[in-house]
Amino acid sequence: MVSSVRGKPKRRVRLPRARTQPISVAPKLEPGAPSDFELMKGIQTGDADALSELYDRYNGILKALILRVIHNEAEADDLLQEIFMEIWNQAKNFSAQKGKPLGWMVTLARRRAIDGLRKKQAYARAEERLQNETEQQPDAWVHNATEQEILLSDTRLLIRKVISGLPPAQQQAIDLAFFRGMSQREIAAKTNTPLGTVKTRLELGLKKIYDGLKDLRDEL
Amino acid sequence: MNFEQFQNQSRLYVIGALEPEELEQFEKARKKFGKKAEDFITKCYALHEAFALSLRPAKSSAAIKERLMAMVKAKKES
Repeated sequence: MVSSVRGKPKRRVRLPRARTQPISVAPKLEPGAPSDFELMKGIQTGDADALSELYDRYNGILKALILRVIHNEAEADDLLQEIFMEIWNQAKNFSAQKGKPLGWMVTLARRRAIDGLRKKQAYARAEERLQNETEQQPDAWVHNATEQEILLSDTRLLIRKVISGLPPAQQQAIDLAFFRGMSQREIAAKTNTPLGTVKTRLELGLKKIYDGLKDLRDEL
Repeated sequence: MNFEQFQNQSRLYVIGALEPEELEQFEKARKKFGKKAEDFITKCYALHEAFALSLRPAKSSAAIKERLMAMVKAKKES
């Protein structure tokens, strides 16, 4: 999400007023393709093809998320496999009333990735790698785009537009909280910022993104 | 805590950024606001999706999927 907080112009996006309809940021699907909910239902009944399709649809996003946390290609691949196995094993716990399949999978993947990072006690090493990667290649991984990724790219650009409209300090606070699993106190210590300021940055930044997503829903 | 404050806290809650002392207050407010609170928290999880979708998808090795599907098949047969 946030590759660097340095050197970016302070451009603010005028965000819309909050609306009441539910937020949806899921990428568009090809006509006739089963929805994520249908795939989850299939997985819940033991349909391996449904898992295969869900994997094809989202392995790239989940791997990017894992890589953003742990910065290690081989470990990210292993974790990705474990996460999809967990999706298979835990599918019965998914409830459509509690949200969408992608949100559930991302929550699961993020938790596993952050747990993995903590277990290894590799914060320092990961940080050094992150710094190098940020300087050399802001977008972590580049390869030939598949059809699914092209559909995703519009979504990504729109979301990034919302995020990049935040002041850099808010982007940084959210980045450290979401992708590094840091508490407000840890962020305050790392950035040498008063705790109250960190809290305000997180609250304001997340509210702007949340409100911005409501606007995106109409564009997607 | 009024509902607007609860909404602010909910967005922090879903990304795991509430401090322990805030979490206690949050859970009390969550009970107080009931279904309205649960509905709002559910909506906040869209933030997770958005952060993930903001990243450029990464390529995985084909062997990962093969291993995964083999494990699933073995599990189904066991």
